[in-house]
Amino acid sequence: MLRYILKRLLIMVITLWIIVTLTFVLMVTIPGSPFNSEQSSNETVQANLERHYNLDKPYHIQYLLYIKSILTFDFGPSISQPNQGVNDLLGRGFPISFELGIVTIIVAVISGIILGILAALRHNRIMDYLAMGVAVLGISIPNFILATLLIQKLAVDREWFPVATWQGPEYMVLPIIALATGPMAIIARLTRSTMLDVLTQDYIKMARAKGLSPWKIIFKHALRNALMPVITIMGTLLAGILTGTFVIEKIFAIPGMGKYFVESINHRDYPVIMGTTVFYSAFLIIMLFLVDIAYGILDPRIKLHGKDGD
Amino acid sequence: MKKWAFILFTVVLATVLGACTTTQDADPSDENENKGQTDETKEQKEEGDKAEAGEKVLYVNNGTEPKSFDPSIGFDSVSWTPLNNLMEGLTRLDEDSVAQAATAEKWDISEDGKTYTFHIRDDAKWSNGDPVVAGDFVYAWKHMLDPDTASEAAFLAYFIEGAEAYNSGEGSRDDVKVKAVDEKTLEVVLNAPTGFFLDVLTNPAFFPINQKIAEENPKWHAEADTFVGNGPFALVSWKHEEEMVFIKNEEYWDHDAVQLDQVHWAMVNDDNTQYQMFSSGDLDLASIPAELSDELIDGDNVYIGEQGGLEFYRFNVTEEPFQNKKIRQAFSYAINRDDIAEYVVKNGVKPAYAFVSPGFTGPDGKDFRDGDEKLVSFDPDQAKQLLEEGMKEEGYDELPPVILSYNTSDTNKAVAETVQNMLKENLEIEVTLENQEWNVFSEAQKNLELQFSRSSFINDYSDPVNFLESFITDSYMNRTGFSNEEYDELIEKGKTEVDEEKRWEYLHKAEKLLAEEMIAIPIRYYNIVSLEADGVTGILRHPVGYLDLKYADKN
Repeated sequence: MLRYILKRLLIMVITLWIIVTLTFVLMVTIPGSPFNSEQSSNETVQANLERHYNLDKPYHIQYLLYIKSILTFDFGPSISQPNQGVNDLLGRGFPISFELGIVTIIVAVISGIILGILAALRHNRIMDYLAMGVAVLGISIPNFILATLLIQKLAVDREWFPVATWQGPEYMVLPIIALATGPMAIIARLTRSTMLDVLTQDYIKMARAKGLSPWKIIFKHALRNALMPVITIMGTLLAGILTGTFVIEKIFAIPGMGKYFVESINHRDYPVIMGTTVFYSAFLIIMLFLVDIAYGILDPRIKLHGKDGD
Repeated sequence: MKKWAFILFTVVLATVLGACTTTQDADPSDENENKGQTDETKEQKEEGDKAEAGEKVLYVNNGTEPKSFDPSIGFDSVSWTPLNNLMEGLTRLDEDSVAQAATAEKWDISEDGKTYTFHIRDDAKWSNGDPVVAGDFVYAWKHMLDPDTASEAAFLAYFIEGAEAYNSGEGSRDDVKVKAVDEKTLEVVLNAPTGFFLDVLTNPAFFPINQKIAEENPKWHAEADTFVGNGPFALVSWKHEEEMVFIKNEEYWDHDAVQLDQVHWAMVNDDNTQYQMFSSGDLDLASIPAELSDELIDGDNVYIGEQGGLEFYRFNVTEEPFQNKKIRQAFSYAINRDDIAEYVVKNGVKPAYAFVSPGFTGPDGKDFRDGDEKLVSFDPDQAKQLLEEGMKEEGYDELPPVILSYNTSDTNKAVAETVQNMLKENLEIEVTLENQEWNVFSEAQKNLELQFSRSSFINDYSDPVNFLESFITDSYMNRTGFSNEEYDELIEKGKTEVDEEKRWEYLHKAEKLLAEEMIAIPIRYYNIVSLEADGVTGILRHPVGYLDLKYADKN
C-alpha cells in the first residue's frame, strides 16, 4: 500500500509538470496579449507594460520563471488586477467556491442516491417513472436556465430568497439548487441502474432466502456494490464543483474562483491562467487518487499494488 | 477493516436517511422557517435602517472588481467610475459636461497658451485631513509617466512637455514640465497650446496622489483602510469581488453639495441578475438586458444620454479590393444606418453619418455636429455606380472575395449579418462573415491581417481630435494602412492651433477628408442607457467622462 502511494505521488508530480509545460506552450501560442483593451494605446505604453510583466523576455526565461513561481507557490501579481497576487485571488475565491461546492455535493449525493434507490426498488412503477422523470429533467435543463428561472420565480416574483450576491446562508439556497440538480440526476440514474443489476444477483437472493430484513439487504448488501460507479464519478465531480463554476457564480454574483478559469484566458492574464491550471490539476489529481483509495476500502476485491501486473 | 467500513457506512447512511426524512417531512414547515428567517432578516434590515434614520443610501452596480484605484493604473470604467467619486482632479465636469474649477480654485493660462498655472484651493483636503498640495499632483503625474509604473493611461499626459520622452525611457523625470511653484501653486508647460487641456484634466488619470501616504505604503490604494482620497465620497469598506461602501467625505471642500450619505457598489457581472436585483429593489441603477430592450426602453425610469464614441467598420487599404477609393465609397453608400440603429442594435442608439459623435461643444457654443450632420449617406444607386466605376478602374471583372470580420458577440454578429445582407441586396456582393475571439481579432486587426473589420472607439477626452488622430500615418490605432499627408497636417494643426475657431475648422476639414477617402464606414454612435429607481435624482453622466454622484440624491 505504501509503495503504491509513493508511486502514485511520483506520477502525480510528473503529470503536473506535463500539464504546466503544455499550458505554457498553449499560452504563448494563442495570439493576443493581456493589454489588448478596446481603449486607445500606443507603442511606448505597450512596451512599458510588456517589460513590467516580463513578457519581453525570451520564452525559455518566461518558462523558467513560471516553474520557479510554481515551486515557490507564488504565482506573482495578476495582470488584470495588478494589486492582487494570484495567490490572493485563489485564496479569497476558493474558500467560497468550496463552501458552496461541498454543500452542493452533499445535497446532490444524498438526494441522488435516494432517488436512485427508490426508482430501483419500485422498478417500472410510478415511483420509478417519477424519479427518472426528475433525473431526466435535471440532466437536460442547463443549470444557468434553472438559475435564472429560480431567481425570477423565488426571488423576484415571490421574495422568499435574495436575488444574488453572497452575504449569508439564505443567499446559498438558490445557487445550491441550481448547481446540485445536474449531479443529482446523474447520481440517481447511476444508482438506479447498478442497483437493478445488483438486486438480481445470486447473493441478494441468498440473503432474501436467509430471511434478512429488506433494509439490511438493501443497505448492507446491495447499495455497497451499487455505489462503486458513483464513487468513480465523484473524483471529477468534486474537483469540478469545489473549484467553482463560472456560470452559476456569475449569475448569482458569488465571489468564488470559477470566473478566473474563463476570464484569465479571455484577458490573457498569464499568471492567473497558470495559477488556476496548476491549482485545478493538482486538486483533480488528488481527488482521483482519493477515489482509488476509496475503491480499496469499499470493495475488498480491489487490491492496490505498487507494481503493475501483480 | 470490514467491520470498520461497515460501521462508517451505516453512520453515513443514517445521517443520509435522517436528513432525507427531515427534509421530506419538513418541506412545508421548512418554507415557514425560511419565511421566518427572511422576516427576521427584514426586521433586522429595517432596524438597521432605523438606526441610520434618514440616511440616504444609493445602491449601484459596478459590474466587477475595479482593476485598481491607483489613478495611473485603473485604466477602465470599472475602476474610474468609482474613483471619480472618491477623488477629484484640478477640474471636474459640471452638469453641462464642461470642465469647472474643482481642486483648483482658479488658473492662469499664458499668452502662448502653453503654460497653465493652477491655484489649488486652501480648503482642498485629503480624507485623512492632510491638505492637498501642488506636490501631490506632481507626484501623481510623474508616477503615471514613470516607465516602470507601466501605466496604460500614460499617453494621455503626452500633452505635457517632456512627458513622452520620460515615458519612453529617453528623457528624465526632472524634464517633465510639471512643477510645484509653492504649496498651492502648480505650473504645467505643454508641448503645444491644447484647447481641451482643462477637460483632459477631469480624467481620473490626472487625479492627485497623497505623496506622504504613497511613499510610506506603495499599496495604499489596494484596501479600504489605507485608501486616501480627496473626492466627494470616502471609501469605508471594500470586500474584494463583493462590495464597496462609500460614505460622504466630510473633509471634501464642497461637502455641503453632497446629498447622499452612503453609496453601496455591488459587483454583479450578469446582465439579467443586475436587472432582477433592480426589479426587487436591491439596486437603484441598472442597465437594460438586451432581450428586454424593446419592452423597457420607452419607460419613464430610463435615462438615455449621449456617449462620445463610434462603432465603425475599417477597410484595410493595403488589401484588394479596398485599395480603390470608389469601391470603399460604394460599400459605405450601400449601408442603411437607420435600420441598423433602429432594428438591430436598438436601445435608443443613433445612426452615425459622420465620425465624430455629437456632444462636443465648440468655441461658438455649438455642437461639432451642428450643421455638419451627414458626411456619408445611404444611396443604393450611387453605390452601384461607384462600384462599377471602381471595378473598371482596377480592371476587375469580378470583385475579389471580401471577408468581414468581427469580434464575437451577439450584437456584433447581428450588425455584421445586417451589413452582409445590405451589401448583397444593394451591390450584389457576397461577403463572407468571420468572427474571432476579441484578443485574436484585435491582434489580427493591428497587424493588418483583416480585410474589412468591425471596430469601436470610446473617447478618452472630450475633443473631436481624440478620434480623428487615430488615422494619422503609422498611429498605433490606425489599423487601416491609411496614410495621407494632408490629413496628418490637418490633425497636427487641429492639435496645436491656438485660435479655437480655426482649430475646429481644421478638424472639420480632416473629418471630411476621412469621409471622402472612406477609410472606415461609420455605423452608429454609442449612448448611455440606465434604469433609475424612483426618487433618484442628480446623477451626472457625461458623453466623455465617468458617472458622477456628487450631486446625486435619493428620496
